[in-house]
Amino acid sequence: MARRYDSRTTIFSPEGRLYQVEYAMEAISNAGAALGILATDGVVLAAEKKILSKLLDTGAVGVRREKMYKLDDHIACAVAGITSDANILINTCRLSAQRYQFAYQEPIPVEQLVRALCDNKQGYTQFGGLRPFGVSLLYAGWDDDRGFQLYQSDPSGNYGGWKATAIGANAHAAQNILKQDYKEDITLEAAVKLVIKVLNKTMDSTTLSPDKVELATITRNEDKDQVVFHIYKDDELKPLLDTANEAHQREKDAEA
Amino acid sequence: MDYLMGLRGKDYVMVCSDTTAVQQIITIKHDEDKLMSVDDHTLLALSGEPGDRVQFSEFIKANVQLYNLRNSRKLGTKATANYLRGELATALRKRPYSTNLLIAGYDKGKGPSLYWCDYLATMHKMNIAGTGYGSYFVLSMFDRLWHKELTEEEGLALMLKGIDEVKKRLVVAPPSYCIKIIDANGTRTIKTISDSE
Amino acid sequence: MDRMDLSCLESAPRSRAAELCPADLMSQSVSGSSFPLPQVQDMDAFQRDAMAYIKPNHGTTTLGFIFEHGVIVAVDSRASSGTYISSQTVKKVIEINPFLLGTMAGGAADCQFWQRNLGMRCRLYELNNNRRISVRAASKLLANTMFSYKGMGLSMGTMIAGYDPTGPALWYVDSDGQRTSGKVFSVGSGSLYAYGVLDNGYKWDMAVEDAIELGQRSIYHATFRDAVSGGTVSVYHVTKDGWTKVRGVDVGQLHYKYYPECDLHPCHGKPPI
Repeated sequence: MARRYDSRTTIFSPEGRLYQVEYAMEAISNAGAALGILATDGVVLAAEKKILSKLLDTGAVGVRREKMYKLDDHIACAVAGITSDANILINTCRLSAQRYQFAYQEPIPVEQLVRALCDNKQGYTQFGGLRPFGVSLLYAGWDDDRGFQLYQSDPSGNYGGWKATAIGANAHAAQNILKQDYKEDITLEAAVKLVIKVLNKTMDSTTLSPDKVELATITRNEDKDQVVFHIYKDDELKPLLDTANEAHQREKDAEA
Repeated sequence: MDYLMGLRGKDYVMVCSDTTAVQQIITIKHDEDKLMSVDDHTLLALSGEPGDRVQFSEFIKANVQLYNLRNSRKLGTKATANYLRGELATALRKRPYSTNLLIAGYDKGKGPSLYWCDYLATMHKMNIAGTGYGSYFVLSMFDRLWHKELTEEEGLALMLKGIDEVKKRLVVAPPSYCIKIIDANGTRTIKTISDSE
Repeated sequence: MDRMDLSCLESAPRSRAAELCPADLMSQSVSGSSFPLPQVQDMDAFQRDAMAYIKPNHGTTTLGFIFEHGVIVAVDSRASSGTYISSQTVKKVIEINPFLLGTMAGGAADCQFWQRNLGMRCRLYELNNNRRISVRAASKLLANTMFSYKGMGLSMGTMIAGYDPTGPALWYVDSDGQRTSGKVFSVGSGSLYAYGVLDNGYKWDMAVEDAIELGQRSIYHATFRDAVSGGTVSVYHVTKDGWTKVRGVDVGQLHYKYYPECDLHPCHGKPPI
C-alpha cells in the first residue's frame, strides 16, 4: 500500500501521511543525538559524535567539530541527521542572518531566523522532485526582545521553542530524563551537568570522552553587551565528563 | 521651499515641517501634512518631489507594518531607518525617489533618536537635523542653543525661534508650519502655525 | 528639490519657437527633393524639445472649489498648439461617471486617455463591489498610474471632483504623481489669474447661484489675461445627486455682458498720442 504514496513527497497517503517526510525523520533518529537546555543565564547545547574510524584525522578543518555551528554572533545550532544536508541549511541560515543584518543593521531575532529556515524546509515537503532535508536542528540564541531562547526544528518545517529538548538517537529517552530533572530556575552550571548526565545515560557507549561529545554554551557578557558562544575544548570537557562517568559508575555499582 | 527641522531632546524627539503644497510657483495648499507616522513610535518627515514623497513614505509605512504583523514585534527606529536607507539606495540606481527625510522615533528602553537621510541615501544619526534652505539659518542657531537636557518646553521654544528666523531671513519662506513630538506616549501634534501668525 | 518652473510666466511661446528653429536653419534642407530635416546635431533632443513645444502644454484655465452646497468645476475651452489656436470648443471636463468629474490641463491626449481609463476602472470597481467608488480612491488610482509613468513624458494637471457618501470631494492629481485634496484648486496657464479672482470671492456659505457666477467670472478673467485660454466657459455643479452642467457661455459675450461700455473696463484708456 505504502509503495504508491511514498515515492513522491507531494502526495498524501490515504491515511493522511507524508511518507517521505516520515522517512526523513526516521533517518534522524539513527543519527548522533543532540540536546539543549535553556537555563536562566544561558543556553547549553550538547551532542554525541560518532567517530567511525580511528584513522579519521579529527584535527582536520571541518571534521573535528561536526555538530555545532555558529550561525551569527548571537545564535548557534546543533544538528542531528545527514551532515551534508545540514551544511546546506546552515549556509542558508548564515545567509538569512547576514541579509537581515544588512537590511536593518541589527541582529536578526532568533525566532525569525528559525522561521526563515523552516519556511525553506517546508517547501521540500510540498514541491515535487525533491526530497526533504534529513536534518533536525537545535538553535540556541539570545536577542534583545526575548533573552535566551532554545528552538528545535524537524524536516517537515515544524519548529517550537523549548526549555529542554533532544533530537537524534534515543531522543525520547533523553526527553524523558530531561522532563524529570529540569527545574524552572536551572543555572547554566547545573544545565551543563544535566546534559552530560543525560548523554551518559542515553548514549550507546559506556564511558564519555571528549572525542565522542561536543558541548557548547551561549552566554552574555553584560559589560561588553556581547553574546558569547563558547565551545568546550577537550581539556575543559574532560574533567566534567570524568566526574559524570564516575557518578554513572557509582550508580551502576549501587544498582548491582 | 520645503523646510524640515528636527531635534532630539531629553526624552523626546521634535520635528517641524512647513505645510505648503507647491506646484511650480503656486502654493496650492496650506495644510499639507509632511510628517507621516509609520507606526505609533516612528515618524517620518519628508521633503522633495510630492509624488515621490507620498509614494515612498507609503511604501515604507506598509512594509514596516507588514514586518510588525509578521513578527509580532515592533521594528525599532534604528532598524526602520536603516531599512528605509537601503530601499532608497536600491532605488537610486533604478528610479530614484527625490526625497530627503528625517526619521524620528522613540524606543522603549533606548530612548529617543533622530536620523537624517538625503535622496542619495546618505544617513546619519543626529541630535539636530534639517533640510531645505531654511535649515541653513536654523542649524547654526540650534548648534548654538541645543543641549542634551532640553525639556519639551525649551525644545518647542527653540523650534518656534527657528521658524521666526526662517520667516525673517528666507526669501521663499513658507507661511505655515506643523510641529510634532514623539516620546514614550507616542506621537502628537503640539503646534500648528498658520499663515496669519 | 523643488524646481521652480517659471516657464509659464514667459511671454508667448513665439520666443521658444525662434530658439528651437532659427530662421536660417529652417530655410536649409539636406537636399532639395527629400523631406526637409532640421540641421541639428542631436535629432532626438530636438524632437523631444519640439514635441514639448507642440504639446498644448498648460494652455488652459481650469478651477474647482468645494462650498456649502457641493462642488463647482469651471473650465475654458481653448486648445492651442504653440501660438496656434487649434480649437475653441474643447471639452475640458471629462464626465467619468454621473458622480465624478475630471478636468483637463496639459496634454489633451494624456488627459483624455487616462481619464477614460480611470472611468473604466471606476465602472469595474462598481460592478465588482456593488457600490460607487469614493473620490479619494478614484483619485488614488489615477495618481498611482501617473506615478508609474513618472518621468516618461506624460503631461497632466487634473482635478478629480465628485460626491460620495463622505460628502463632496476635490483632489488635485498631476503627472509628477502629486495628489492632494483641498477646497480650492486652479490648474493651467491661466490658473494664476483665476486664483486672483477666485480667492477674492470665495466664501464657504455662498449661495449656489453666486458660486456658479464666481466660477464663471474667474475663468472669464483668466481668459482675458491669458492668451492661450479662451473659448467658452463651462461650469458644472456637483451635489449628492451627481453633477449637472450649469453654464456654457462664450467668453466674448461675457466680456460685453460684464463691460457693456468700454470705459467701464480697467484696461480702457485713450492712446497716449
